Amino acid sequence: MTADANVHFHDEMAALERRILGMAEQAEKMVGMAVNSVIHDDPGLADLVIGMDDEIDRVYLTAHHDWTSLMARGQPLGADLRRMTVLLQLNAIFERMGDQCVNIAKIAKANAGLPRVDRVCAVIREMGDLVREMMRSALGAYVREDVDEARLLPTLDEPVDRLNASMYKEAVAVRADPSILEWATRVLMVSRALERLGDQAVDLGEMTAYLVTGERVEFDESGIMLRDA
Amino acid sequence: MTSQTDFDLSVTMTDDAPPQAGSSDGHAIETTDLDIYYGEFKAVEGVSLRVEPRSITAVIGPSGCGKSTFLRTLNRMHEVIPGARVEGRVKLNGRDLYAADVDPVAVRRRVGMVFQRPNPFPTMSIYQNVLAGHRLNSRRLARSEADEIVEKSLRGAHLWEEVKDRLDRPGSSLSGGQQQRLCIARAIAVEPDVLLMDEPCSALDPISTLAIEQLMFDLKETYTIVIVTHNMQQAARVSDRTAFFNVEGPGRPGRLVEVDETDRIFVNPSKQATQDYITGRFG
Repeated sequence: MTADANVHFHDEMAALERRILGMAEQAEKMVGMAVNSVIHDDPGLADLVIGMDDEIDRVYLTAHHDWTSLMARGQPLGADLRRMTVLLQLNAIFERMGDQCVNIAKIAKANAGLPRVDRVCAVIREMGDLVREMMRSALGAYVREDVDEARLLPTLDEPVDRLNASMYKEAVAVRADPSILEWATRVLMVSRALERLGDQAVDLGEMTAYLVTGERVEFDESGIMLRDA
Repeated sequence: MTSQTDFDLSVTMTDDAPPQAGSSDGHAIETTDLDIYYGEFKAVEGVSLRVEPRSITAVIGPSGCGKSTFLRTLNRMHEVIPGARVEGRVKLNGRDLYAADVDPVAVRRRVGMVFQRPNPFPTMSIYQNVLAGHRLNSRRLARSEADEIVEKSLRGAHLWEEVKDRLDRPGSSLSGGQQQRLCIARAIAVEPDVLLMDEPCSALDPISTLAIEQLMFDLKETYTIVIVTHNMQQAARVSDRTAFFNVEGPGRPGRLVEVDETDRIFVNPSKQATQDYITGRFG
């Protein structure tokens, strides 16, 4: 049995962490909805995504305020200090994830009614599925404080990067049809947003490694940790 | 027996012996396998610790872990308690403080101490308080030399500007924070190598505490400082290295768990016991 002389601080930190991780769960749902709004030409779904981001922004702002207050009052050290440092960064990462979903949703609205290319839609769907899997895996690794699981994230990110690169070739392939070119050019930005979401999931994995080991690291493509990055 | 000339602390007086930069191997203080006793009770066990010259080392740990006891062995204050003794070794600038021929009074001249509560001599003026160490050493000073020591020491303690026009007033007329700085002035007046501070700010308000902490940054340019503090934020603010002492239970001896760079101790300590202590978890 461990006695906790700092129980109020730890309770508040745990509550703050739950709220911030809730943003990630919300963002993961938003990725799926935003991708569907693009590939199914559904502006209404895109509006829902944009509305959900307002909730993420609200949590981001209140969490930032509460984080500052908790740091001032708790003056944490050691593992508590590391967790608080990580929470501040996660708060920013998840807010940016929400913004990327909004970017995708706005493109869905701009592309409403334009002719689409099924082959490109399939690639976007695959990227969306991969990114959502990465986000779930990154979140699970963080909650379980599992560095080995976090180190797998760059491997999961590799096909996302590859598909993103392939999208440029797809855009060039449809250049002869101006109406499709307009749609495809905007979808390139969707691909780019999904690629960034994958990178942010890797960032979450690196934060997990820091939380557990106390070492600031960058993962390379194979998940090897480059220390003191 | 070693001759007094090999280790004559009593004649290494302040005006002709500037503070030394540490031993040949670079450590101002070095303890090896130090056990500290009160009678038959072993209060501290097996402390091996090196302190770099002109640095601040903080000693932290829960009540009863022996950190203040350890501090008092570094200038042989521990042994003034009847039955108290040490085993192991304490070196100052490479020399054994507990060698048979070493005069404890001379040790305390080289290793000054500042206590938890400011303790200026109440019947002495501010001026006389600063010179108290010299008086105890039976040094006769010319007036001009005394004036110079008083001003230099009070300036060194960041107190001169506040008291220069009332040096004849009793030391006890000063505020708590000023009294503590007066005690620091008194300690540095004899130009020791090392300053030991035993919770020097625990009786002070936050502004006075900051004044002492700012002073410590300046003092470490000249002196080696070891500070015992219950305030982990203070240890984190002021020290270069931090030593964590712990005790496993009542009647058990305190032990040095870990010593490392301060930012390492307070961000990512090596030992679970240190982690538990600085985050408030015990089990």
